Amino acid sequence: MRPVRRFTYLLFLTVFWPPMSVLAAEDGEFDAVHHTADAYYLDFLPIGKVELPRIFILRSESDGYGLRVFRSTKNALQSNELAAEFVINKDTTIYAPGDSLQALIDKGKHLDAKLIPISDQSAIILDLSMTKHLVFALLASGILLAIFVQLANRYKRGIGRTSAPRGLVQNLFETLVIFVRDDIAVPNLGKQHYQRFLPYLLTAFFFILTCNLLGLVPFGATATSNLNITAVLAAFTFVLTQTNGSKDHWRHVFWPPGMPVLVKILLIPTEIMGLFTKPIALAIRLFANLTAGHLVILSLIGMIFTFTNLFGEAVGYGVVPISLGFTLFVMCLEVLIAFIQAYIFTILSALFIGMAIAEHSHSEAH
Amino acid sequence: MDALALAYLGAGLGAGLVAIGTGLGIGRLAGPAMEGTARQPEATNDIRTTMIIAAALIEGVALFGLVISFILAFKS
Repeated sequence: MRPVRRFTYLLFLTVFWPPMSVLAAEDGEFDAVHHTADAYYLDFLPIGKVELPRIFILRSESDGYGLRVFRSTKNALQSNELAAEFVINKDTTIYAPGDSLQALIDKGKHLDAKLIPISDQSAIILDLSMTKHLVFALLASGILLAIFVQLANRYKRGIGRTSAPRGLVQNLFETLVIFVRDDIAVPNLGKQHYQRFLPYLLTAFFFILTCNLLGLVPFGATATSNLNITAVLAAFTFVLTQTNGSKDHWRHVFWPPGMPVLVKILLIPTEIMGLFTKPIALAIRLFANLTAGHLVILSLIGMIFTFTNLFGEAVGYGVVPISLGFTLFVMCLEVLIAFIQAYIFTILSALFIGMAIAEHSHSEAH
Repeated sequence: MDALALAYLGAGLGAGLVAIGTGLGIGRLAGPAMEGTARQPEATNDIRTTMIIAAALIEGVALFGLVISFILAFKS
């Protein structure tokens, strides 16, 4: 029974985590969107926040282009090079170095500010700062490297090839890898071509899955709920699709066969648009699904605070079990979604690539 | 009514309409898929795969609507 109990404990830890971070939101005011958005710090509430390094490429009148690296947002603001800017309802407030900035830092609000250079002559060319989502994407890559390098060495030694796979980790991942190969790659790409694209599909699948699951861990953040990261993943699919496109693929785009010329002219722009909407939909689907899941969880938790503010504390306490019950349900759903979205991204990538590489005779009707 | 209030209204209505459309779409998809599975249990895997792909495409359209709602709702 021990593993079951351990699992229950973990489940409770995960479910009761969001309330704590919400409690830390001040003045009973709580912004769910802010919590799911990217940030320049790691949230270890209620213990504290860890600020991440800020890296800028600055252009200044005196010394031209230069790379500035600061250990944290606080250091960047105290360096006398950058000021904090807030835009609320089109009113711009700028905190230049001084007492007001110090007060801002003491309250911890400086982390939400937009950084701008103090002098008019200099400008931020590129903001390469580390963010929460970037840290978790790198963490996911690190975890995957740690697991798969070890597993690959095992297969090189022959464990799993000449004998049965050994241990929980190898068995688990062999199941998943074979699932991706037999249920995603082979049916969509065909027996001839699948081996060329299998490495990419496996990478995408496991990276997305790890990122999704990291978001459900206490203190975690979902890297895939960032549109930039999903867009990069979709861009890989786009490039693979176009660079491996067969002659038929391009003929379908630029001179669709089997229809009158007038229709062809109408169809060409649509086909060209179609090339781009597929990866864009891929990116937005992953991003929106992961963001929406977290927003739903936070909204359910936020219900407690709404009811407390509306009807008093007693009702607020009464809502807690209902709200937590729903949160538990959505959390379980989130675990399911983590797998389904990784699967859908991979299978659609395989489908798009498969459609592009397919060569078919044109006697058949369309 | 000022523009912000209208934007919120539009966002709320949009999210609801998107839900109706997706519900109808996925419902029409999942019903026959279930029937097909019941009639032909040996084809379950193929039906499930094609159903998930189609559902994902429908959902993609819904998410486009949702993103527009989001953009409207977070206007300040």
